[in-house]
Amino acid sequence: MSYVDWIFALHLLTAATLVGGFVMTWIVVVVLRSVNAPDETLSLNRIVVIGSAVIVVGLVGTISLGIWTAFLRPELRPWHGWAIAAIVLWAIAAAAVLRSFVEYAKPAQKARELIAAGKTGPSDELRALNRATTGLLLRGLASAAVVLIVIDMIYKPGA
Amino acid sequence: MFAAIRPAGQDFPLLLHIVGATIVFGGLLASIAALALARGEAKLLRVGYYSLLLVALPGMAIMWGAGEWLYHKQGWNKLPSNLKNVDWLTIGFIVGDYGGLFFIAALVIGGIGIRRLNSGKSDGGLLKVTLVMALVLALGYIVAVWAMTGKPTGSTAAPAVAASSTATSTAVTVDATEFKFTLTKMQVPHGTVVFTLVNQGKVSHDFSINGKTSALVAPGKSTTITVSLAAGKYLYVCTVPGHANAGMEGTLIAT
Repeated sequence: MSYVDWIFALHLLTAATLVGGFVMTWIVVVVLRSVNAPDETLSLNRIVVIGSAVIVVGLVGTISLGIWTAFLRPELRPWHGWAIAAIVLWAIAAAAVLRSFVEYAKPAQKARELIAAGKTGPSDELRALNRATTGLLLRGLASAAVVLIVIDMIYKPGA
Repeated sequence: MFAAIRPAGQDFPLLLHIVGATIVFGGLLASIAALALARGEAKLLRVGYYSLLLVALPGMAIMWGAGEWLYHKQGWNKLPSNLKNVDWLTIGFIVGDYGGLFFIAALVIGGIGIRRLNSGKSDGGLLKVTLVMALVLALGYIVAVWAMTGKPTGSTAAPAVAASSTATSTAVTVDATEFKFTLTKMQVPHGTVVFTLVNQGKVSHDFSINGKTSALVAPGKSTTITVSLAAGKYLYVCTVPGHANAGMEGTLIAT
């Protein structure tokens, strides 16, 4: 494998990590919607934290190695239309998912407060936070942008 | 390749293959994280198991089915075995096929573990086995993604040699475009033939004949390979996935 092949392979590995991170956190987000107990919320939140770290690694690796690949390979350039579209979609995905991290930190914070107050039983307020639509919408927007990036990368309109 | 210009008709199966693979990978990551963090907690053990069953398993079916579709779309099934037994494809099949069996075994063991957990006969100890198996599978998928994207070449890729025309050798220039070869001679005397591959297209191509494959040539570049041919007919192809099936193949006659 050449140097270019290695960079390209790492770009795609980080892309797989990014999408894998989204799948991972979606699983937990769906499970969280039926949770109203503080201890379960905190347990599941630990997986969200790991998933969020995976997403950040994927986001950083994908964009940096992707642009690097585009400069290294003669048939690709970062200013091609499909590449610019991918970069714009990446920015939307990054902004939306980073904002969703803040939203998904709220139920964990509430669960800690409840436990500190000795309220370890089911909580309607916690359930409402776990089912909040803002985080869900942001994550949905970020996921849609990532899916569009994958489609854009494969079909490369205008290439 | 993910970021390459491909012949028409291969994009959708590739999209499905990649989507399936990333769903499997995400399901495995969720399962590993949940099972590793569970410490006997039933909720997380269930999340770990059902991530495998309800997310990774359908993803695997999509990945495997779309992979087979792509294999036929790219015409690998029509190539001679010396050309299709490339390392990256072999790694993909090993992970896809044997990994699939391993995955089923992890599901069965995990299923027994969940059943025992639900009936109160166990604290989910069997799911630790599922965790280890899921970890092995995730590592296998990382290797597969690296192999399928980087496409390391093995025995089928012969290094290009410098053109060394001798009195008995025949020179043939091969122009490569998307997606066809144009040879200056379609019939050559048997003996040594020096092929000069000139890539006049927009994507990288190679040239493979009689078990020898040139280096991958970037657009605007060229390379040569020297091949010894006995009298007979020889299939030549571009070994970049899908290119032969799209038209980059033909038959050269050595007299």
